[in-house]
Amino acid sequence: MVRLLSTVWSIALTASPDVLAANDSLARTHFVTGIDLSYVNASGLSSWTEGSVGKLRYDDSSDGLVISRAFLDAGARLTDTLDLNATLQFCDDDLGAALDFTEAYAEWRPVPRSANRYRVKVGAFYPVISMENTGPGWSSPYTISSSTINTWIAEEVRTVGAELSWSRRPQALGGAHRFAVQAAVFGVNDPSGSLLAWKGWSADDRQSRFGDALPLPPLPQIQPGMMFEDQDPYVVPFREVDGRVGYYLNGEWRMGNRFTLSAMTYNNRADPEAIEDGQYAWYTEFNHLGGSLSLPGGIGVISQWLRGSTVMGRVMNGAHVVDAGFDSKYLLLTKTLDSHRFSVRYDNFEVTENDDTSEDSNDERGLAWTLAYRYSHSDTVLFAAEWLSIKTHHDGWVYYAIEPTATEQRLQLSIMLRFAR
Amino acid sequence: MPRKTFKLLCAALAFCDGSALAADIAVTVLDRDGLPVPDVAVYVERDEPHAAAPDGRRAVMDQVNTRFVPHLLVVQKGTYVEFPNSDTIAHHVYSFSDPNGFLLPLYKGDAHPPVLLGHPGVVTLGCNIHDGMLAYILVVDGPEFGKTDAAGRLTLATDGDAGQRVTIWSPRIRPRGETLTQEIGSGELTFRLRGALRPAHDAESGGVEWSDY
Repeated sequence: MVRLLSTVWSIALTASPDVLAANDSLARTHFVTGIDLSYVNASGLSSWTEGSVGKLRYDDSSDGLVISRAFLDAGARLTDTLDLNATLQFCDDDLGAALDFTEAYAEWRPVPRSANRYRVKVGAFYPVISMENTGPGWSSPYTISSSTINTWIAEEVRTVGAELSWSRRPQALGGAHRFAVQAAVFGVNDPSGSLLAWKGWSADDRQSRFGDALPLPPLPQIQPGMMFEDQDPYVVPFREVDGRVGYYLNGEWRMGNRFTLSAMTYNNRADPEAIEDGQYAWYTEFNHLGGSLSLPGGIGVISQWLRGSTVMGRVMNGAHVVDAGFDSKYLLLTKTLDSHRFSVRYDNFEVTENDDTSEDSNDERGLAWTLAYRYSHSDTVLFAAEWLSIKTHHDGWVYYAIEPTATEQRLQLSIMLRFAR
Repeated sequence: MPRKTFKLLCAALAFCDGSALAADIAVTVLDRDGLPVPDVAVYVERDEPHAAAPDGRRAVMDQVNTRFVPHLLVVQKGTYVEFPNSDTIAHHVYSFSDPNGFLLPLYKGDAHPPVLLGHPGVVTLGCNIHDGMLAYILVVDGPEFGKTDAAGRLTLATDGDAGQRVTIWSPRIRPRGETLTQEIGSGELTFRLRGALRPAHDAESGGVEWSDY
């Protein structure tokens, strides 16, 4: 379905300039594209992207120059109220094609007839969770890496379905206050939760594309002859396994450009005993609370808290054979000085084992500090520097003869180029 | 000053300089702490409706950096308002304020002809692409109107006829319990608000980068 959407979008985007070129003053197509060239210096464990357990996207085998990001964010307006949008991301690793889509969706924005606004999104897109990734290509204007919460959203979570959004500015409160509710139904995201239970949290800026297959650590229980031997050694996050539909409901209160508070409940309603083509469905539910605040003097505060659980497999001794609780929160402070931005973020995360299955310990706890600097030389050229340190205790690492407590660090210097039309 | 004396004075002044009967009204708007309130619409109302603005009167509501500029525009009924889009991205401007509703589908530059606003009232503007964009046009009946300056002041010239009132409006003023209309009794009128102002819609933001939502 995702592939089909991508194809439809590609054809539409290719065709639309010819069809609509006659009236370019109406700006029927628009895009932002960018490429980040980075110097990376990392220390610690081998990266999870190499099939190990390291929390970062890069390890010391990547030290040197890399293309850390390249993307195309494009849209075509089919009518005055119907948009097609898609984001193509480049990844220089072995987890999928060099170029693939992270989002592809249609959005219908009927013109309001009252103070109520309605929006409908259909396709594959990020749920309204991240308060960091407001930039083009789901990048963050504050840091290079995302918080552990949003790194997981980028890894395993996407709405493949439909979202209805209602919002209203009560005139009795003036124009500044806006209330919004988003309700969505989705499928095709059944393996979501695998990486959180079996790998744990991460902190980096890699976004899973629709065709990606993400490596699992060499877990004892997925080896031949073991309980989950049918599980492939990788996770395909965006596929349908059980035919069941999940949902989320989000509420948001925003006051101009000064204050936002949002709360979400999410449940993919997957059948935890379903497996297809080496991919289990994971019953994943969570609640999210997030807030951001603009203070005078160019100071911003952003915080998010996500807490939930994921279960998989049959019930034994009163619990599913894999039952993991997860919890993560972060606080980000940011300050702008002309074209300079300084940000600091503290992450605290954990996964809690709730089952009795041996040789499948999910327990993990850790914290991360991120210091970031960004300089906007122009709209086209930006420079960024980031130092990230993440300390983790993960019991299960003893299976791979890795010390269960480790601190990993990464320095990254980036030149970012952006073009928009 | 008693109204009669004031009118006599006006008549005398008019007689002296040979122009029509005229008077300046200095209006001041203060909040509950006595501080000036800028960008408040001030206009003169009459018992009898005024004729519409002369043909071809124009006003401009610009769009710059995904904001409407100004946030509040005051025009006389019968004015043609232009909505140029000075951004590089397209906007889709609409008003659902009956009977001044209109729609300017996706455009850049000055693709659409000006909109005739023929009826007094508040016109709430939005952009269907950028939900955060919000502005107001206050369409008033007569030709005497303006907005308070940084000192909360505005001076209006009126013809000094009887049955005239000065009214103020701002999206930030909560109307309940406020005196928003005063008879013209002297050359000075002060509106002292009792309640707290609503927060400004688009105050300068701090360190958070906000999406257009």
